[in-house]
Amino acid sequence: MTRLFSAILSALLISTPAFAHHGWGGQEEQVTSLTGTVVQGVSLAGPHATMKIKVGNDVWDLTMAPPARTANAGLKEGLIPVGATVMVRGNRNLDHARHEMKTIYIKHGTAEYHVYPDRE
Amino acid sequence: MTLLPFGTHFGAPFLRWLEHSQLGVFTRSLGVWSYGIINLVHILGIVMLFGAILLLDLRLLGAWRSIPLAALSRPATTVAMTGFFVAVASGIPMLTVKSSDYIGNPFLLIKFPAIALALLNVWLVHRSPAWQAHRTRDLTRREQMRLAAGGALSLTLWLTAITAGRMIGYW
Repeated sequence: MTRLFSAILSALLISTPAFAHHGWGGQEEQVTSLTGTVVQGVSLAGPHATMKIKVGNDVWDLTMAPPARTANAGLKEGLIPVGATVMVRGNRNLDHARHEMKTIYIKHGTAEYHVYPDRE
Repeated sequence: MTLLPFGTHFGAPFLRWLEHSQLGVFTRSLGVWSYGIINLVHILGIVMLFGAILLLDLRLLGAWRSIPLAALSRPATTVAMTGFFVAVASGIPMLTVKSSDYIGNPFLLIKFPAIALALLNVWLVHRSPAWQAHRTRDLTRREQMRLAAGGALSLTLWLTAITAGRMIGYW
């Protein structure tokens, strides 16, 4: 029984790194700035807040902090209307075919939202 | 993923429909902590399901032979079933929040067939003569082997479902 237990324990320990939180592993180290128009406003549903903006001909998926943290940064649903121009900074996906960015900062007019201040 | 016998966009119309369903609209309206809380309930469901299954399957595979199988099978089955329903009841609203995000996610297409096969295995084990007999008499060596095979298959399938489920978020 002890042997079985230690086998299970070692299997768990080996698999632990795979359970670290997802997010920044697949993103570029450097910060990229984008300016575009909002095509889908901020959504505070889901594991992370999201928003879509159009830059040139590409629609970008912006992934922000988890909903509660994004809301705490002042960014709520409906504050930035569809069609508005926004400037965002963040780490884009390593796969450049995927227009996706983990977003750190959003500027809309004079309003600034620091959703990941510790990453700026 | 060429491993799959169908394209990764399998189920796309259904996922789009699910996102725009009343349940999706309702779940998204529940506030900033709702996803985290639903996720927590889902994990608690999985913990109950897999914890109970692990004990029962290890017993079927030959661990703790001094404990009668009948003493373990009833509580383990009850807890596992409850856990399964908790996981389903929380999993469906969680899936509706942004269903279209899962289009092309290969792990979703591994998870659900694995659950279907795991449930089929539950059904096959429960209708087997060996399982039916275990409450009333000692099992023969052959019957024990039959149940051990069911237990091994059960562990494999549920672990596949849970692993694929966790990996959905890392795709």
